[in-house]
Amino acid sequence: MAFEALISSILLWFGIYSILSLSLNVEYGYGGIPNFGKALAVLVGAFTAGAVVNRILIAMYSIEGTTITQRSGFMKSTVDSIIASNPAYGIGLLVFTLLLAGLIGAVIGALYILPSAKLESDYLAITLLAIAEIMFMISYYNTDLIGGYYGAPVPDVLAFIPGELREWAFVALILFFTLLTYLFLERTLNSPYGRLLRAMREDAVALQFSGKDIMWVRIKTLAFSSAIASMTGVLYSFYAGNVVGIVNLFARVNWTFFPFLMVLLGGMSNNRGVLAGVFSFVVIWRLLDGYKHEIADLLNLPFDVNWLQYIIFGALMIAILYYKPEGLVKEKPIETEPIKELKSKHSEKA
Amino acid sequence: MILQTFNLSKFFEGLRALDGVSISVPREALTLIIGPNGSGKTTFINTITGFYRADEGRVEYEGRDITNLPPHRVFREGIVRTFQIPRPFKKLTVLENMLMPLNNPGEHIRNAFVKKWVDFESESVEKAYDILEFLNISHLTFEKSETLSGGQLRLLEIGKALMTDAKLIVMDEPLAGVAPALAHEILRKIKELCETGKTFLIVEHRLDIILDYADRVYVMGNGKVIAEGGKEVIEKPEVVEVYLGA
Ligand SMILES: Nc1ncnc2c1ncn2[C@@H]1O[C@H](COP(=O)(O)OP(=O)(O)O)[C@@H](O)[C@H]1O
Ligand SMILES: [Mg+2]
Repeated sequence: MAFEALISSILLWFGIYSILSLSLNVEYGYGGIPNFGKALAVLVGAFTAGAVVNRILIAMYSIEGTTITQRSGFMKSTVDSIIASNPAYGIGLLVFTLLLAGLIGAVIGALYILPSAKLESDYLAITLLAIAEIMFMISYYNTDLIGGYYGAPVPDVLAFIPGELREWAFVALILFFTLLTYLFLERTLNSPYGRLLRAMREDAVALQFSGKDIMWVRIKTLAFSSAIASMTGVLYSFYAGNVVGIVNLFARVNWTFFPFLMVLLGGMSNNRGVLAGVFSFVVIWRLLDGYKHEIADLLNLPFDVNWLQYIIFGALMIAILYYKPEGLVKEKPIETEPIKELKSKHSEKA
Repeated sequence: MILQTFNLSKFFEGLRALDGVSISVPREALTLIIGPNGSGKTTFINTITGFYRADEGRVEYEGRDITNLPPHRVFREGIVRTFQIPRPFKKLTVLENMLMPLNNPGEHIRNAFVKKWVDFESESVEKAYDILEFLNISHLTFEKSETLSGGQLRLLEIGKALMTDAKLIVMDEPLAGVAPALAHEILRKIKELCETGKTFLIVEHRLDIILDYADRVYVMGNGKVIAEGGKEVIEKPEVVEVYLGA
């Protein structure tokens, strides 16, 4: 059974982190925007589920209670029992929440990148990190907004599925969204848009002299990628049944640092590479986590075993940047069909 | 006149890099700007194309005031420029670099997804290849631009400028490092393009090659225009003096 749990957790996290890392890859791998506040878009997803949709449901069923955490809990048991006998309700709720999160994510993403009009990339990275940190602090220490450190339960959109199958049903659901995201992004990025982003990464200043409004490209790109990342926040909140997995003090590690590590590991502006990076990372991470006590006994660690993974991942990040900056899969030029045609035409001649 | 500047000035912490420069660029001709190193030629280009903000004076293009428009707006007005030190998008291929100045509908996310760009792309790719062939670098079409030599990068800069519909093409020392035979060919092509409605404003050091092609010449020294006229201006004593003094 432990083995099955390990596999399902690897697949689940592979799905969640793939969507998130693919979205980061649009911004950072393609567009060169150092979004050190990636976690904010995930928070928007948790916020949409826990603070917005929860309140709508609480109002709909006139649920009473002293705190948002408590009211959300009562609402969850009401809604879960409805979904248990009405799958369409659960799926509808999921789709509605995803769309709403996408919308809010796009607006917040667009507003959030505005400081980049004035800032060079180093300062921009710090500024984005600071904005995200402030939003997390507010969400965490203010317990009225989204439950803060008490968390806020959210409905189980798959409550109609028997308990023992629920884990795998969620794995399937999330992998389905992962596949969708991957296909969607492959199509959208293997295009002049993907080329534009890469050119922006290479030299944003020179690109302005090709008539591109860099600010506008950044705004649209952050709106686009944040919408995707926000949906990840919704999916994970629904899986966990509570927003605490996102609204916590480790957010910058779990939802910003890890995705950066995976993108760098896999290879910039290369969606397949990113998937490879995510998979390698998740396998190492879940194994370290699953066998941490065995490892601790074996190595006789002079510190808490939970620190071990941070040390390992920190070292891994440095090692990649130093020895293999191109990642597992090298970046390839974008070859649109017309470019492929030209290439085959002229390689025949040569 | 397609472009005119009026008393254009740019200061760098007390240094008058451009000091009241008034230049008129006649339509469908090659206007040459010469002058010793540090005389303000690149600063002039940077100021008219929105890279620097002018501290004083005005720029007019086609009778419209374009002073201090941001670079992408200047481009959209119809002015394209090249850089003295080429700025390729290094990880992009030569062909991809050539395609960047075009306004492909597929650069918008929605069009990208629904593939409303393939026809435009086909035409652009053909055009780019023809220009690369003309510039003798078509064998590099699919190479990453970071692998090009300095001279080849300059040709790529010229190629990018020729990709656009811009009416005014501004070039900062386009011929440095380009073999004389090809340089003459490029200049002949430029003169040809002048007859099809394009205007060139070129900063160039290699007078031996370019002077015969120039329709109008401006000489700069210490941020000012010190002489202007036909190609005979280089024989004026004040021009000889600034060159010898430099
Ligand atoms: N960004 C800048 N900051 C400070 N000084 C500059 C800058 N750009 C150019 N200058 C100065 O302005 C003067 C003119 O330079 P430039 O326009 O590059 O000359 P040219 O292109 O004619 O060789 C030089 O003295 C140069 O050092
Ligand atoms: Mg210069």
